[in-house]
Amino acid sequence: MSIILKAKNISHQVATSDGPLTLLNNISLQLALGESLAITGPSGSGKSTLLGLLAGLDRPSDGKIWLGNNEITAMGEEQRAAVRARHVGFVFQTFQLLPGLTAKENVMLPSELRGERKAAKQAEAFLDRVGLSHRLAHYPRQLSGGEQQRVALARAFCSIGNRDETHSSGVLFADEPTGSLDAHTGEKIIDLLFKLNAETSTTLILVTHEQRLAQRCSLHLQMLAGTIAVDSLPDGDDNYSAVSV
Amino acid sequence: MLSLRLLSRDWRGGELALIATALILAVTCVTVIAHFSDRLTRAMQLQSQSFLAAERVVSSSQLLPQVLLQEAKQRGLEQAQSTSFASMLSAGDQFQFASVRAVSNEYPLLGELEIRRSTAGASTKVQHGPKPGNVWLEARLLPLLKIQLGDKLQLGNATFTISAIVDQEPDRSDNLFSMGPRLMMHIGDLASTQIVQPGSRIQYRYLFAGDDRALDEYIRWLKPQLSAHQKVLDLRDGQPRVASALDRAEGFLYLAGSLAVLLASVAVGLTARRYSLRHTRYVAVMKSLGAGRKKIFQIYCGQMATLAAIATLIGLLLGSLIQVYAVMLMRDFFPVSPPPSSLLPTLTGIATGCACTLGFALPPLFRLAHTNPMQTLNRDWSNPDRREWLGLIVGPSSMLLLIWWLSGSLATTAALLAGLGLLIVGSALINRLLVHSKLANLGGSWRIALGSLQRRAAFNTLLIAAFGTALLTMLAMTFARTALIDEWQMQVPEQAPNHFLLNITSEKLEPLRTLLEKKQLATSDFYPMVRGRLSAVNGTPVRERPQRANALNRELNLSWSSTLPDGNRLLSGSWWDQIDKGVSVEVELAARLGLELNDQLRFSIGGLEFEAPITSLRSLDWNNIRPNFYMLFAPGSLKNFPATYITSFYLPPEQKLFVNQLVRSYPDVSIIELDKIIQRIRDTINQVSIAIETVLALMLVAGVLILVAGVRASIDERLQEAAIIRTLGGNKRLLLQSLVLEFGLLGAVAGLLGAAGSEITLAILSAKVFNLPFSMHSALWLTGPLLGILLVGTAGTLSCRSAVSQPPLKVLRGLS
Repeated sequence: MSIILKAKNISHQVATSDGPLTLLNNISLQLALGESLAITGPSGSGKSTLLGLLAGLDRPSDGKIWLGNNEITAMGEEQRAAVRARHVGFVFQTFQLLPGLTAKENVMLPSELRGERKAAKQAEAFLDRVGLSHRLAHYPRQLSGGEQQRVALARAFCSIGNRDETHSSGVLFADEPTGSLDAHTGEKIIDLLFKLNAETSTTLILVTHEQRLAQRCSLHLQMLAGTIAVDSLPDGDDNYSAVSV
Repeated sequence: MLSLRLLSRDWRGGELALIATALILAVTCVTVIAHFSDRLTRAMQLQSQSFLAAERVVSSSQLLPQVLLQEAKQRGLEQAQSTSFASMLSAGDQFQFASVRAVSNEYPLLGELEIRRSTAGASTKVQHGPKPGNVWLEARLLPLLKIQLGDKLQLGNATFTISAIVDQEPDRSDNLFSMGPRLMMHIGDLASTQIVQPGSRIQYRYLFAGDDRALDEYIRWLKPQLSAHQKVLDLRDGQPRVASALDRAEGFLYLAGSLAVLLASVAVGLTARRYSLRHTRYVAVMKSLGAGRKKIFQIYCGQMATLAAIATLIGLLLGSLIQVYAVMLMRDFFPVSPPPSSLLPTLTGIATGCACTLGFALPPLFRLAHTNPMQTLNRDWSNPDRREWLGLIVGPSSMLLLIWWLSGSLATTAALLAGLGLLIVGSALINRLLVHSKLANLGGSWRIALGSLQRRAAFNTLLIAAFGTALLTMLAMTFARTALIDEWQMQVPEQAPNHFLLNITSEKLEPLRTLLEKKQLATSDFYPMVRGRLSAVNGTPVRERPQRANALNRELNLSWSSTLPDGNRLLSGSWWDQIDKGVSVEVELAARLGLELNDQLRFSIGGLEFEAPITSLRSLDWNNIRPNFYMLFAPGSLKNFPATYITSFYLPPEQKLFVNQLVRSYPDVSIIELDKIIQRIRDTINQVSIAIETVLALMLVAGVLILVAGVRASIDERLQEAAIIRTLGGNKRLLLQSLVLEFGLLGAVAGLLGAAGSEITLAILSAKVFNLPFSMHSALWLTGPLLGILLVGTAGTLSCRSAVSQPPLKVLRGLS
């Protein structure tokens, strides 16, 4: 299987008034196309930081990351943004829809940022797939939490799954996607997420506190104080999946 | 497209509307002033030229050598000439003293004469004087001489036909003190009258017009060859008093306009900062979805450029409309319709819009483009202030450059820069003192208020400086406007003397005084006048002294007074209450003649010599309309010399015919009528005052915008804190008190700094820009802090009222 995401010995520190603080320490992993990975761990263990670095939102202090064929750690901010635009979708805990844009316009946003012309039709199609074809012109404030997260899902999949490919080369990053929803709504959103994931053969990395949700992923990585405490990643040639040392 | 969509959707947030309002205000203000100044300057130029009846005039008490005139001809300049003197006219058994003016065929080179061919007919405009053998008279002369149009009259040895009534001549105001009603004749007839003899008091005027460059070169060539009693008059000599008022007004307008731009820019900066903070989340989301720094900058720059373009267009339009209205208000002042504006005011308006946007709106957006997308994951929406310095450097720099360009004065720009620097340092110091004060020990709302101030110490320093700037400019400009307009009004008060009576003999003094009292006309005192010539200083004849002045070439009006007349100020020496003899000399004349206290002056009066020491030096207010004297003697010093008297009085327009009665009853008394000129000055001043007040009002609106923008810039954080305090059990009263205290303290500090800054600014403005005497303004020190508390306290508390009036959960949800 082809590797879509690979991280090698990544560490990350930030400067504080008390000196440098280590958030991640020597983490290595790799994911094949279409796999799903759950990252769990207590608050402050570095889950979200790892997610952000893998998505190319920032560069680690040390180590290398490849997204598709691109070594994103060797890229500048503009180049990383271009890679995100082509290969990355995001679902956030607090939805992160732009309040000034309608549901359809929010879904169109990634395509518009890429300068694509078919943005409107694709957005309508994805909103239809998440069951919100009747809510196209509604603003986020007019939608329930569950509906907002469905719009966010449509935006994420529209972002990476809209190209004419059999298998999406994109990776969907989800940061506690049910964290702001009640259990019942959260369950529905997760069902939808995995349904769309299966339909588009997207690679999924999600951060969650919920074991039930983690269990639905093919791979599981548990973090503690910036290191991988337990993992179910397959061993690779370069010992990427082992507990970090 | 995306940027336009975001622009239309974000409008509701309020920041963009505030930025647009501030930009519109800045552009409107500058455009109005630039248009107004441009048209005013060009109209003044036209008007002054028509007041001179030429582009340049050489005024002389002697004939100008022909070689000088020949040179003008060779340089291709147009020329005209006029000769003025006072003389007696007669028609039958009627006699009347008149101010005679003989003009050449080419007169006037610019402007027009208004004449009537029949007594009841309408005036027509002509560009020539009377033909040889004809004279034109001022209407008042007809009843005085009991003659009609077409009749003959005698002037010297010649007889002339009266062919027209002259109502208006362009350069009549060139010599306000021309004696008596006007008679205009052809210069070719002058010889036949045999009036002009060697020694006659004549004023020759040589008028020139033509190509600007050739004219300038000729005047440059001519000036060194002129004697002390010949001078070149140019544009601003046409109406010096109005020109001076307009100069000051222009200075004030540009300063107020620059400050309005500064205020509006600060409002733009503060609002753009809040806009940028509120959009940090959006940008982080867009970046996580693949938007790069360039794309973000493109989106927000596109948004701001569109907003700035629309606001600039509206500002240009409003500016043009207001200036059309201002010019319409002043249409009476202009003899001709003022020329349309050049392109410069529009360019100035566009430059202002660009400078405000580039200097103040873009730096926060630049910071926005550097938002870290990781913030979407850690949900920390604070925008790190790493690039705050950019806004603090770019904004003020672009503004100072704009102010330099607008005011054209490096001194004003430097003074503003120093003032702003002091204001920021002062803000930081006072803010530091405040947050470390023991006031927090008062507990409750004091602790909350000071805690809030302490948490935002850096931003509060900026806020106090911004509020202080707003209050400084509002206070300084309001006080300056009052001082300026009051000064003008004082120069020409409602009932300023508008008629002068000269050559009143001692015998006529009492009957005339009685007549004026009977008519209930308010007169200044009757000042005695003896005509004499300064012949020697400390025994040296004046013609042998190195210092020369016009005053030495003619007879001076010498007078005496027991009291120091109004508008006179004793600068050195003593007045007559301490000594009983000597002469008090006007200080500028003394400087020109090199005279000092105790110098012995010798005067020649009617062939008799008279000596007096200089016992004091005085300054004079030449702007007041009352008799002023270079030389004032101790009472009784000149009792042996025949004196005439001079007085001035206010004659209401409805009693204008009283002048004819005076002329008939006192034919030997000379009357100078200044009423039309004073009215024109007063009208101009009133209209310029309106222009000033319009710009001041725009500036005050800009000041209020800063207050609103400043309060809104930090409102989210305050609302959040207030909601948390309420959630934790703080009651509404405690919260309200802390808000009032926090904003009240900010306002008081800003007001105090604003008052201090205003006082300094007013001192500089008085000395450098308006040439007005400076005095401390105690009212400022009270008004500043009170206004600060009132405006900032009210605006702040009102803006945060939702934190008190709404349930805390609603406030927190609204913020998220």
